[in-house]
Amino acid sequence: MNELLTKLAECVEFGKINKAAPFPPQMKGQDGADEITRQALDSGVPAQDILGEGLMPGMERVGIKFRENKVFVPQVLMSAKAMSTAMVHLKPYFASGEAKQKGTFIIGTVQGDLHDIGKNLVAMMVEGNGYKVVDLGTDCPAEKYLAAIRENPGAVIGLSALLTTTMTSMEKITREIKNAFPETLVAVGGAPVNDDFRLKIGADVYAPDPQGVVEFLNTKIA
Amino acid sequence: MMNIADVIFEQTYRFDELTIDLDQLSRDLGYEFDDLPEPFAGYLEQVVDDCRHLTDICGTYRLMDCVHSGDGARTVMAGNVEFKVGKTIANELLRAEKLAVFVCTAGKTISEKSAVFLKGDDPVLGYVYDIMGSAITEAVGDEIQQVISREVSLLGEKITNRYSPGYCHWNVADQHKLFSLFPAAPCGVTLTASALMHPVKSISGVIGIGKNVVFRHYQCDLCNMPNCVYRGK
Ligand code: B12
Repeated sequence: MNELLTKLAECVEFGKINKAAPFPPQMKGQDGADEITRQALDSGVPAQDILGEGLMPGMERVGIKFRENKVFVPQVLMSAKAMSTAMVHLKPYFASGEAKQKGTFIIGTVQGDLHDIGKNLVAMMVEGNGYKVVDLGTDCPAEKYLAAIRENPGAVIGLSALLTTTMTSMEKITREIKNAFPETLVAVGGAPVNDDFRLKIGADVYAPDPQGVVEFLNTKIA
Repeated sequence: MMNIADVIFEQTYRFDELTIDLDQLSRDLGYEFDDLPEPFAGYLEQVVDDCRHLTDICGTYRLMDCVHSGDGARTVMAGNVEFKVGKTIANELLRAEKLAVFVCTAGKTISEKSAVFLKGDDPVLGYVYDIMGSAITEAVGDEIQQVISREVSLLGEKITNRYSPGYCHWNVADQHKLFSLFPAAPCGVTLTASALMHPVKSISGVIGIGKNVVFRHYQCDLCNMPNCVYRGK
């Protein structure tokens, strides 16, 4: 495999944004995701390969390490930043259709709830694994999800809730989505949510961590 | 003589008056304090410096008579307000003669700052503000707990640990009843219909008081939340 892509995967895995970034200490002074993506494009590596063979493998390793408690939220944020810095260079190729994402994931924190770090981590990880992510923000009523599905047919939905009181809102939203779009897949998560609750409200998958929903998407969409 | 149960204590705190465990914060960032790499070390220093300017860190409590009636195994009464605290917490409060109901907050400033950076282009800095906000909130809880402990010890009374709606089978919606015991927006904290406190970095709860209550560390084997803030405390 192209050596630049191997290096790029490492930049994402360890959160090396660009040459100037001091983090991580062991990569100080080396090129980061920013420079390497540019170099790869300049040397003719297709944007699709940069995404699929450089960025995605790096992000997948982060997701697994996060699930195994080997890295924490800040390291994931660093990796996500490295990823998004690289994506800036790739944007024109997605716009022209030369490179493609695997599918679309729409995520939001349910109505009545304002927590967003957990939801953001899921969004970053899903995006880093090659999906287009539509982030609806927090305190989202059912109509907002429904409108987003209309705009993005075939998208999978993610609902996040951090309080037991707002889990009722998660139930209501899931039912409304399933009524309007029976084929649409709904993933649920957040600290008080579990698989029994997922089953009760008729959602399709519960995952305790972002990697879980990535794996679900990879089996259902990719 | 003034009836003690009618007094609402409210106190703002400066950051430096609180005990913040920087070692724990470092661990939340993924490192031991002495090995904290850049940019985390610099961020933590920056956030600590900034927190010294906070003026809206606040804790408040009110002492209420505690009545055990009705379904005593699962509920307690603060005055005439019934809290459905569930078996575990009811058991801890069984011998309480009074209850201190409390609300503590790290304030609007840090909650907003964290949100701005998290949504903006420096989520890592936002996250450092976020976990600092949580640490400040709990540190105010510790202070309030000590104030109450000192106060009641003058009367030969002791306190229990603190318990919050949303933990150990106590429904988070009971916060509406808890807030009804305070004037509107205690310490500037308000409650949404879905029982979410604003600012986000806030906690609410009760502490049992009495000659025969026992301070016990949290009984974590009853709960399955692996990374709970109260684990082992
Ligand atoms: C830190 C913390 C606090 C802090 C900060 C709160 C804040 N919002 O910033 C403080 C101390 C202030 C606090 C206060 C309270 N808290 Co609190 N808190 C926590 C704690 C320990 C961590 C939350 C956190 O930041 N996690 C980190 C983020 C990254 O994780 P996350 O949001 O869960 O997201 C991850 C997963 O859930 C998942 N995920 C999230 N969304 C989605 C979506 C999909 C589709 C998928 C697949 C996955 C997924 O992926 C994310 C990344 O791994 C949790 C317990 C826990 N260990 O989770 C309790 C917890 C959230 N708190 C709880 C409670 C009850 C409260 C209070 C109501 C207590 C009180 N009465 O005072 C208050 C409420 C505050 C308010 N504003 O209303 C309960 C909520 C459940 C419930 N009973 O309703 C929890 C779950 C603890 C428990 N043991 O029950 N809390």
